[in-house]
Amino acid sequence: MATTLTINGEQKSFDAPPEMPLLWVLRDILGMTGTKFGCGIAQCGACTVHIDGKAVRSCVLPVSAVRDRAVTTIEAVGNSPAGAKVQKAWLDLEVIQCGYCQSGQIMAAAALLAATPNPDDSDIDAAMAGNICRCGTYVRIREAIKQAASGRQS
Amino acid sequence: MRILLSLAVIVIAAVGIGVWIVRGPGPLDFSGGSKVAVADYRAGKPTGVPAALEKASLVERGEYLAKAADCMVCHTKPGEKEFAGGLAFKLPFGTLYSTNITPDKETGIGNYSDQDFLNAVQRGKRHDGAMLYPAMPYPSYTYMTDEDVLAVKAYLFSLPPVRAPAPENTLAFPFNQRWAMLFWSAVFNPDTRFAPDTSKSPEWNRGAYLAEALAHCGECHTPRNLGFALDNRKKFAGAVTAGWRAFNISSDKATGLGNWSDDALVSYLATGHALGHGSASGPMGEAVDQSLSQLAPEDIRALAVYLRSVPPQPSPDLPATTAPAAPASHKDGVTPDARGKMVFEGACVSCHGWSGESLVSPMATLTGAWSVNDPAATNVAQIVISGTKRYTPDGALSMPAFGNAYSDDEIAAVANYVTARFGAKGSKLTAKDVAELRQQTAQ
Repeated sequence: MATTLTINGEQKSFDAPPEMPLLWVLRDILGMTGTKFGCGIAQCGACTVHIDGKAVRSCVLPVSAVRDRAVTTIEAVGNSPAGAKVQKAWLDLEVIQCGYCQSGQIMAAAALLAATPNPDDSDIDAAMAGNICRCGTYVRIREAIKQAASGRQS
Repeated sequence: MRILLSLAVIVIAAVGIGVWIVRGPGPLDFSGGSKVAVADYRAGKPTGVPAALEKASLVERGEYLAKAADCMVCHTKPGEKEFAGGLAFKLPFGTLYSTNITPDKETGIGNYSDQDFLNAVQRGKRHDGAMLYPAMPYPSYTYMTDEDVLAVKAYLFSLPPVRAPAPENTLAFPFNQRWAMLFWSAVFNPDTRFAPDTSKSPEWNRGAYLAEALAHCGECHTPRNLGFALDNRKKFAGAVTAGWRAFNISSDKATGLGNWSDDALVSYLATGHALGHGSASGPMGEAVDQSLSQLAPEDIRALAVYLRSVPPQPSPDLPATTAPAAPASHKDGVTPDARGKMVFEGACVSCHGWSGESLVSPMATLTGAWSVNDPAATNVAQIVISGTKRYTPDGALSMPAFGNAYSDDEIAAVANYVTARFGAKGSKLTAKDVAELRQQTAQ
């Protein structure tokens, strides 16, 4: 079934069954492999994208449920002010270790800062607790979010 | 001698009155109009299949009726062959297993004559003369016409036979005495066929037949009496069955269906979801997926018409209204339980949101659902334990089962957090309550 979605500001048309999760459309049909598959049941956060600016797990989101809402992925998150600040802080603090979860971490952090420009620790917990990192970069993630929020340099 | 005789008369009269009081009214007595036999009802055809299937083969008609009676869900063990039985029902006094109703001659119903099958479905009597336990809802199926029961038989006999002996029941004494069910049946199975009410519309009568004879709504939604039979004095007032709460579906405005729009009611029956009313999961999710979603639109409308006519019954333990959406920020709203919040923000919020309005699917929206507004949190805890998988017009949607990932303490904490945040009154579940709920689900 032909579907058209707005992804990173562009109209993309493709054939996919309506129940196919958005993640499979992104990775397997459109070749946008920046968004990662982790658990497949919305429990790890690796597949996080933005739907109308809010963090959503693409592995459980049927493509038919996206409708006319705007999808933003890790490939374009740097175009938004919050996304750019998060990416810079991530590089400045060298947050990433293996990197597998990090596109999801960055998407969740960018959505947090767009909604809550000066998050405290409990805001960070509330937004980031569902994003798992097996390398244990949580300390640097928290620091980088605070740095991105304050705009200070390391 | 005269004293003994008088005593005997008194005892018999007392037992008779007792039985009469416990048994109470039948499921359709509330309608009040005069009842006639199906053959004498001229205004419409409340039994059988919808008009579009009228000319279909006996097997096809039987398939529709078997779906409407929801035979498969109970007679199939998840992951095993359909209709081959073996699903375990855990009761307070032991475990019952559903039987193989494929036409296998040794382990199924392959040797059943038409009369045998009628006896089983309408009277709870097995081929070998032994009595069935009323986990098989024959006090409801007894209202089916012979013609419809035999159409279901023709459908079942068209299926491939599966060799699958049913596991032995593990009921404790005295419940393992099958013969005692003779007395139970004599009191609680009316053993009578559906009789249309001439004072009601044909649509109402069709809905009554679907709800009472086939869909057996009351088996979960009507509370039980002292004899574990349906107490129709509280018809459709809601009850806990197999560890899940079947909510009030009487016409009560506050806690029943009285304030639902027709569209919402039809949508919930046909798809297991209605905006602002949450989604069906657990046994009702299965009933929708395997039965109600397969019914013709006019049958769903007839069910809705019938449900609306059932007199209101209050559910005093539920709040007068469901709570509105919770605040968008995690900081606002009730936060009684730090541990519950921790589980929620790690495992739940990415789909359900802090407001309860899901970004993933309206089916995952918590706002307006009775489950989160039930101060007993029964269904919230159950869905966290067992998850859900639903088949929707947009494809399958599922929630993972967290029963093996979280302890009883954590599940109690998150259920208490969820009911406090998204419902009108928070629950006070303990780890012990969760452990008991784990024991009660059919598997």
